[in-house]
Amino acid sequence: MSQKLSITQRINFPHSFKLTAPRQQMLFGYLILLPTLVIIFVFRFYPMLQAFYISMTDYDLIKSPEFVGLSNFIDLLKDPLFLNSAQVSLTYVFFSVVPTWIISMGLALLFNRHIWFKNLFRSAVFMPVIMPSVVMALVWTFMYHQQGVVNIILGWLQISPIPWLRSSSTALWAVILIGIWRASPYFMVIFLAGLQAIPSDFLDAAQIDGANSWQSFLYVKLPLLKPTTLLVIIMSIITAMKVFAVPLIMTNGGPANSTRVLPLFIYQTAFEFFDMGRASAMSIFLFAAVMIITVFQIRLFSAGEDE
Amino acid sequence: MKGSNLLAVLLLIAVLVTACAPKTAVVPTEPAVVEQPTVVEKPAATEVPVEASWTFPTENVTLEIWWHEYGPFTAYMEEMIPKYMELHPNITVNVTKVSSADLNQKLSAAIATGTGPDILDQDASYYVQYYEKGVLEPLNLDVWGAKSYGDVIENYLPGGADAGIFDGKIYSLPYQGNSMSLWISNKLFVAAGLDPVKDAPKTWEDMINICPKLKIVDGNVTKQKAFDFPYHSARWQLQQFQPLTEQFGGELLSADGKTVALNSPAAVSALTLWKRVTDACGDPQTTMNTGSNPNQDFIDGRLAMWITGPWATPQITASEFVGDQFTVVGLPQVDPTNPRTMVYGWEWAVNADRPEINKQVAWDFIKFVLASPEEWLAKAGFVQPVKGLLETETAKTFPFLSVHLKDVETATWYIRSGKVNEISLAVGAAIEAVVYDNVNPQTALDAAQAEAENALK
Repeated sequence: MSQKLSITQRINFPHSFKLTAPRQQMLFGYLILLPTLVIIFVFRFYPMLQAFYISMTDYDLIKSPEFVGLSNFIDLLKDPLFLNSAQVSLTYVFFSVVPTWIISMGLALLFNRHIWFKNLFRSAVFMPVIMPSVVMALVWTFMYHQQGVVNIILGWLQISPIPWLRSSSTALWAVILIGIWRASPYFMVIFLAGLQAIPSDFLDAAQIDGANSWQSFLYVKLPLLKPTTLLVIIMSIITAMKVFAVPLIMTNGGPANSTRVLPLFIYQTAFEFFDMGRASAMSIFLFAAVMIITVFQIRLFSAGEDE
Repeated sequence: MKGSNLLAVLLLIAVLVTACAPKTAVVPTEPAVVEQPTVVEKPAATEVPVEASWTFPTENVTLEIWWHEYGPFTAYMEEMIPKYMELHPNITVNVTKVSSADLNQKLSAAIATGTGPDILDQDASYYVQYYEKGVLEPLNLDVWGAKSYGDVIENYLPGGADAGIFDGKIYSLPYQGNSMSLWISNKLFVAAGLDPVKDAPKTWEDMINICPKLKIVDGNVTKQKAFDFPYHSARWQLQQFQPLTEQFGGELLSADGKTVALNSPAAVSALTLWKRVTDACGDPQTTMNTGSNPNQDFIDGRLAMWITGPWATPQITASEFVGDQFTVVGLPQVDPTNPRTMVYGWEWAVNADRPEINKQVAWDFIKFVLASPEEWLAKAGFVQPVKGLLETETAKTFPFLSVHLKDVETATWYIRSGKVNEISLAVGAAIEAVVYDNVNPQTALDAAQAEAENALK
């Protein structure tokens, strides 16, 4: 401790600003953090603040931004395309994250057991995560084609080809399926880490008390996985809310706007329609939606802890 | 969850969601915005003559030029630039090549920050938004050695220069003006017992009648399509929906660009016909066309008839299946006695927010590179919509050039609007709803009309 203090004491503060040793230590800590904080502010928070400002302007990239107050937000609430995109995004989020939680938890439980070629299977399952989104979207586009692998397999089962990406009733589900396929292995790893952190004593004690596998999972593993589960839920919702590359490449939001998720519509509004104010306002809505959902989740889990 | 954890999670969310926000950190410099009326007019027949008084500068000038990347086009431009610099040793030309998909974004951002090029290359339909914002410099008649804009327009086919004319002045000139004509695969016609010349459809009803002979379906799978409209891009869909609507007597956008009529009786008739033709001739489920390979189905022999432009000639001629075994005929019509077609293209323009000397040299450079339409045809495969091209030696060997140019003569340019992307996406969504989901054309176009009106508001 005395050595640490001597380091901080090398900073030659004027007498009028003489600080106590703990305060000097604290100040030294902040000084070390400062470069990182500056970088985070400049490259993360400043663009966010800028987006807040732009959302209250009429700005097309070429002319200077013109302040319009809240009119972008008010217009959005009356815009059927925005409301449609919000609905598509919510549908995507709900129907992709819930199966993802179940599948990733199931895979984690499976790979937490002693099985043959466990590492090989783990690597194989994890492959979709390391595949670039663009490549994956192109591969799946071919797989969903009328004469693609998916329809060939359906043909073996005497099922007629399905126009996966060419019908507004199936396109979103086709995109959701890819979301689940890609996200599940990633969250499996997080669950797996959580499972492996559970002390074996707890499970041994449960076994001695006569608990079967299901009871061990329900009453020991699941409660102890609560922080991990909260992380998975929040991360998966945020990831799903931000889905962009796959619908952009596979459908560009079609057919008939059925896969035009909010991030894609934000992109189109900003960089195809050049309405930066409106696009920023949509981003603020998206930010608020994620924030509300997350706070709700945190409160829900906190309430459980308090009980 | 305690307060500090809550704060940490909220910060995490904020950082992650930031990635969704458009990158707006760039604060634009004040652009040279000129209040301009948006009414688009052709130049008056008589104009005040301008005395040619320009002499080429002797000081060093560096020109920045941006163009969209396309192999033969780039190769030809890279041949022309050294020739220009040899002619004018005090001029340096710096080139930036951008993919066509990114060009509009990058140009807009560069112009906003005062880093735009001297010479712009852009899809003609986008120039109206630049014009309205005062970004474009009108053609310098002194540099061009012309007495009036009418003199320059005289060199073009009727309507050939229209896309670059605003309020009577020329702001951009085309290096390619493409008609959209009907291409026929000779091999597939002959295999069906048809003659690609005699049996070529002149009307859409002819097309519907001929399709059963060319469309091959095996069970649930379409093996060969007789004809298909495009489904890989909303802009392509609008390219073909526009002339179809005009053939029924309608107009998608008013002349002043302020009123859309996507759900007019003519547009509804056009979309109804689109659906009938698709049902009889095509199958959008099978298409392998993409933005970078829009002619793929035709090239691979999965499609007997396809609408595309003359620029596709080198690509199709080089293909293994089609090669030179194709025929090009005029765009099918509703009423062949009153033909309506469409032309679209790419044009050169000059950035108004540049030093005067750069703007003058930029127009001189454009004059230099546009001087040989025959070379553009031979080396880049691009058709400049100018008079006299048909009489050149290259034109005589370019397949079906007379057909392409005849379709240009009856064409209107692809709609010019600052909201062309919104309009094309609205039309594309309506087409998809009708073709894929059997939505009533009137209902689908009513929705498209509402979307487009909202965008134009």
